[in-house]
Amino acid sequence: MKKVLIGGVGNILLGDDGVGPYVLRLLEAMYEFGPGAETVDLGTPALDLLYRIAGLDLLILIDAVDDGERPGTVTAYRKADLIEHARTVRMDPHSSALSESLLAAELLDNGPQDVVLVGITIGTCDSGCSLSDAVEKAVGAAIRMVLEELDRHRVPYTRRFGVRPDIWWAHDCQPHPA
Amino acid sequence: MAKRITIDPITRIEGHLRIDVEVENNAVSNAWASCTMWRGIEKILRGRDPRDAWLFTQRFCGVCTTVHAMASVRAVEDALKLEVPPNAQYIRNLILIAHALHDHIVHFYQLSALDWVDILQIPKADPAKAASLAESLSPWTRNSRNELKAAQDKVNAVAASGQLGIFTNGYWGHPAMRLSPEVNLLAFSHYVQALEYQRKALQVVGMLGSKTPHIQNLTVGGVANAIDLDSPSALGMDKLEMIRSLLEEVATFVNQVYFVDVCAVAAMYPDWFRVGSGVRNYLAVPDLPLDSKGSNYDLPGGYVLHSQGGPQAFKTASDAVFRESVSEDVAHAYYQGEKALHPWVGETDPEFTGWNGDNKYSWVKAPRFKGEPMQVGPLAQVLVGYTQGHPLTKKYAELAIGKVASIGKVQVTPDMLHSTLGRHAARAIRAAMLAELAQKHWQLLVDNIAKGDLTVQNAPVLPNHEVEGVGTHEAPRGTLSHWVVIKDQKIKNYQAVVPSTWNASPRDRSGARGPYEASLMGTPLARPEEPLEVLRTVHSFDPCMACACHTFDPSGRQIATVKVL
Repeated sequence: MKKVLIGGVGNILLGDDGVGPYVLRLLEAMYEFGPGAETVDLGTPALDLLYRIAGLDLLILIDAVDDGERPGTVTAYRKADLIEHARTVRMDPHSSALSESLLAAELLDNGPQDVVLVGITIGTCDSGCSLSDAVEKAVGAAIRMVLEELDRHRVPYTRRFGVRPDIWWAHDCQPHPA
Repeated sequence: MAKRITIDPITRIEGHLRIDVEVENNAVSNAWASCTMWRGIEKILRGRDPRDAWLFTQRFCGVCTTVHAMASVRAVEDALKLEVPPNAQYIRNLILIAHALHDHIVHFYQLSALDWVDILQIPKADPAKAASLAESLSPWTRNSRNELKAAQDKVNAVAASGQLGIFTNGYWGHPAMRLSPEVNLLAFSHYVQALEYQRKALQVVGMLGSKTPHIQNLTVGGVANAIDLDSPSALGMDKLEMIRSLLEEVATFVNQVYFVDVCAVAAMYPDWFRVGSGVRNYLAVPDLPLDSKGSNYDLPGGYVLHSQGGPQAFKTASDAVFRESVSEDVAHAYYQGEKALHPWVGETDPEFTGWNGDNKYSWVKAPRFKGEPMQVGPLAQVLVGYTQGHPLTKKYAELAIGKVASIGKVQVTPDMLHSTLGRHAARAIRAAMLAELAQKHWQLLVDNIAKGDLTVQNAPVLPNHEVEGVGTHEAPRGTLSHWVVIKDQKIKNYQAVVPSTWNASPRDRSGARGPYEASLMGTPLARPEEPLEVLRTVHSFDPCMACACHTFDPSGRQIATVKVL
């Protein structure tokens, strides 16, 4: 059984930056994943990411990217892409948290075997809880890319119906979990 | 002629902390701290149900999720005059303590140790010599020659690969680095172990909060944990025992490793007790309430104004003096507005003009207390406690002072805590206090449950008339306050005055510098093009400015730049 983590990364209060958690919640509602595969809304992680990714066979992150492509473009980035820009001067705990967590995991010899970041090119990141049209339209392509990655690694999942995605922030607030 | 240095992590889309300094005769002669992002996140909260606010506020920042959740429920409870049952107070306190321990450990090892520790000296170290040095400092069992040799091998492997990985672009070999190869090795071995122990602290947050990074167990009026000592699915004895043992492991690491390492680094860089003081006004709020009303606390609060001397205590976490004395000034911040405003009537209307050190230059507002800039954080908390004669604070402050003196044969006085090293020492002192308090609050919780009290929440009732409240928390980075105005059962206004806003504050209209800015004045720089000394002081505050976009930038533009003009 492969150990897999599918994580949505981004700030749900900052427009398109929240696309990672948004896609994650859709995936959770639409699919059931096998034992070994975990889904988590990671928010905007810092080095705490490290213990999430330790010992994984496969890490799939869904994140907003600023890569100069047209808003809504979906691109896969691999481990080498993520750690090639190592840090220089760091001012606070967030800077390069993603690359740094991967590098720290390598240092501890327990980094994930395979890493893919499903990047969705952002439009705007103004404060607000909804996605721009271009990014909302890319959600389907991002989900497909996650599933293809799971297929490639022979990680099972099944489609399910009738579960409402828990995107509480995007609508007028749903009742809180308590 | 002054040289200008800008340290600017051009991060992602929005931005982070930027520091500009002018250097004359190899010392800082002027300084500006600014933040290059606009937040304005609070506006999202207007019109929403106040009972849901905490779910949104814990998304302000990925490092400080729990602290913003906690301050938010406390603000609404304050507005509703709602008491919190003892079980809920203790559970919240344990979460706050565990989160803070994780945060302080990561801050010292992962975020600032490499300002003092030179990785590239490690291959020269003698592991046996390092092990015997370690033995003289601490009873920690993981300082053996073998353990240290393994750590050295890791560094050798990284160095041999030609790719420094996580250690790329440190200021290795900088003349301000002065530890022996053996001490560098010891510190690095603890850097690796710290990754393990910070995780144990986070596990406690996850077990009580049901999830990390975003806890799910809070609710206005208490917590949502079901308590049943016999049930494995609820909060029962099994889980509580596991929590106790994790907290004990973390406490041992704090006492035998973190505390000792900070004292050792301090003893070997004693001149840094004279650098980085800056603003000598301190502010801390009481925290870790011991009863439902919030009339007794385990962490004392209050303020010290340098011009007036002597500490003034806050009786409660929403003390009237605190409520009335906070304002935010925007003379040098990119916002509209003529005069300093109280957070309940605070406005967040942007007016971006571009960086101009003489005029507006930051997205951070300038919070003031009684009109004065205040330093917040562990140093403020320790000094406020120490000057009030708080026994637990005195116990660990004196232990630290004695330890530094015995390692370095240097005379250390409490007055030397007003410094860059003082901020590190205070954080270690606070961590040791929290590690001890963790055991106490665990016992309080277990004893209270054993009495048969299973209550975890008092249900909130929202009035239709207008009410206002403030929720405070003495967070890892210092005093955090959330200010809420509720009308017709909806949020009318919401402002968060976060610790890094106090410390990273720009000048106010009177020209008074904020704590980062003031602390940099006079800092010596061995090589202005490698401003390691500036980073040492800025990092000592534990800045966290990134309540912002987290978009990954594959072009690598998140890399900081250092510009010398």
